[in-house]
Amino acid sequence: MNKHFLGFLSILVLGLILFAGLSYWDEGIDLGDQHMKTATFAETLLTPPDTAKVTGNNTVAQQGTQPADSVTATTVQKTADGEVVYQAAPQYQDLGQQPMDTTSKTILFIGDSMLEGLGPRLAAYAKENGHTLINVIWYSSTTEIWGRTTRLQERIQEFHPDYIFVCLGANELFVSDIQKKRQKYLNNMLAQIGNIPYVWIGPPNWKPDTGINDMLQASCAPGSFYLSNGEHFDRSKDGAHPTRASAAAWCDRVCKWVMTKGAHPIKLNRPSESKARCRTIVYQPDI
Amino acid sequence: MMMVFVVAFSLLFFYKSSGLFFLLLVATSFVDWGLARYIDSHENKGARKAAMILSLLCSVGLLVYFKYANFVLLNLNAIIGNNFQPLDIILPVGISFYTFRTISYVVDVYNKKIPATTNFLEYIFFLSFFPCLIAGPIVRADKFMPQLRENKPASREMVYGGLWMILLGIIKKAVIADYIAQYVNIAYGNPTGYSGVELLMAILGYTMQIYCDFSGYSDMAIGIGSIMGFDLGINFDFPYRSLNVTEFWRRWHMSLSFWLRDYIYIPLGGNRKGKFRQYCNLMATMLVGGLWHGAAWKFIFWGFGHGGALCVHKLLMPRLKKIPDNYFTNLISWLLTFTFVSLLWVFFRADTFETAWQVIYGTVTRFDPAYFPVFAQVRYTWCALMIIVFCMHFIPKAFYEMLRRWFIDSFWIFKFLVFIAVIQLVIEFSAADVQPFIYAQF
Repeated sequence: MNKHFLGFLSILVLGLILFAGLSYWDEGIDLGDQHMKTATFAETLLTPPDTAKVTGNNTVAQQGTQPADSVTATTVQKTADGEVVYQAAPQYQDLGQQPMDTTSKTILFIGDSMLEGLGPRLAAYAKENGHTLINVIWYSSTTEIWGRTTRLQERIQEFHPDYIFVCLGANELFVSDIQKKRQKYLNNMLAQIGNIPYVWIGPPNWKPDTGINDMLQASCAPGSFYLSNGEHFDRSKDGAHPTRASAAAWCDRVCKWVMTKGAHPIKLNRPSESKARCRTIVYQPDI
Repeated sequence: MMMVFVVAFSLLFFYKSSGLFFLLLVATSFVDWGLARYIDSHENKGARKAAMILSLLCSVGLLVYFKYANFVLLNLNAIIGNNFQPLDIILPVGISFYTFRTISYVVDVYNKKIPATTNFLEYIFFLSFFPCLIAGPIVRADKFMPQLRENKPASREMVYGGLWMILLGIIKKAVIADYIAQYVNIAYGNPTGYSGVELLMAILGYTMQIYCDFSGYSDMAIGIGSIMGFDLGINFDFPYRSLNVTEFWRRWHMSLSFWLRDYIYIPLGGNRKGKFRQYCNLMATMLVGGLWHGAAWKFIFWGFGHGGALCVHKLLMPRLKKIPDNYFTNLISWLLTFTFVSLLWVFFRADTFETAWQVIYGTVTRFDPAYFPVFAQVRYTWCALMIIVFCMHFIPKAFYEMLRRWFIDSFWIFKFLVFIAVIQLVIEFSAADVQPFIYAQF
């Protein structure tokens, strides 16, 4: 091997070591006023491969055994010989569903690009049932992005919603060691929501996740998390987002679930129109 | 030994991206290698021609089946009112690129431009060479095979020049194109919800995105090739500097446009059979070029638009030559060319004709220049990147060559610092939704 190759390879290897080392600080490094992002080399290299699989299989197992509208919290345990054991927790609907609230609501719907498909359909539901809907789309957003900021609280103060829909998690399907990294941001979001009734719509997995659904299920109040994973979706050509028709059907299932199984049922009768317009606020992706 | 290792790696790379379709590549390699040897070893014109046609039928047939079968079925349904079910077909990654490479090899052997290789390993190395497998460039055998046989170790210039190209490609793709794409996707996703200025920015954004995306991939492929000791040529030569459409096609995706010229336009007669025939040949060539990009009417329309523009340019050439060559006329020519190319990219990018028209109609009817400062204020990073890419086009080539030379000749530690700076830049700009290489879809 000639010396030029050695020089080139040493650049690659030392670069990898440097970025792997820096990625130990997985939330980035603050240099004075500047925040420097770090890569995810360390977790990719150091996380045992079966960690992701365990949580991933968990969600797959749920897909196969549970209908989407009978959400069950599932705990995962691994025995000494590596066998994965699933233990079903009580179903949410057994934990005390309130009677249907038939009054008109101001609904705030926040989330990532999935709102492009869900938003217009939920707007049709709002129109049909006398609610006011405000959609807030923050493209490429995650629990971390929302949880780092007070944007949710600001929108709550601005619109005074009495019901909140959240659809987040699609951009975090493959984050490893997710609880360590995202739990505090999720808690921050839930703290901003406070006592307002809410429904968190889980991401429409296109691959097994590394634990986002488990974390959401464990953190959301009983009857406030809708597990989308395991449902059938027709995908648009990016392979991730449901098509408009599939997103509308998804929204139908969510609304039916809110009325029949959610902790805070509100009037969401199926609308005659397929979609409607509503006030929509769009935030661009951050760098 | 190196050849076995690279072929194995290339096939593994293809297997990882396309599963068992890698066997298709092996089969195509074997059939075309065998037929090329047959052509080379026979003098009988009929037999040679039959072997070449058989090879073309096999490679083009596979491409047509995988890429166009459902498109044909869909249009047949629309025309004759039948209800043929679409076939469950997955398009193998890179099939458009390696099919064109294998066609050029067999045709060149038939035309006695190059001898057929007797070594199958050599041929499968050429066809499966992993840097070019997914999105080109469409390397020709007459340039590649001699380098393979020479087996020259990569010089300092090639290794560090290759690293320079890779870094340049990474910046274009992972920093600029992916960042610009985020806004473009939003605007194209709902064109009726945006003002004229925002839609204009989306049009310009996609014009730059596709350039940075595709040329970025090409730079990386060329850089990896260079480190391995292969000169793969250049694939883009500042296309948006062009003063007319003919020049644009000499600068844009050069390996494809030269392939179309050499294997479609010239065999059809080129400009040797009169003006009218020349225009027909141009249109046919560009329609194939459009269709090559994808099985959809929007790509055919895009090819038709470029073909039409090339015909008009050829038609007006005698008059255009009389116009004085000065800064003002050059500016007008550039503006016309750039606007035309950008407008056709709208059809290329939009999912449907309806969306494309919504983008163009919205740009024209809802245009208010007062939005410019607001847009720049809200999306300053996006605008800054756009301005940088735009200005990069007009910096003299000598400056880039000077930078490249400087990088190659610099101390190792400087190269290392540049490398980590680029990677950190990518990390800073990385979004949760990473965009795939646009041309890998073809």
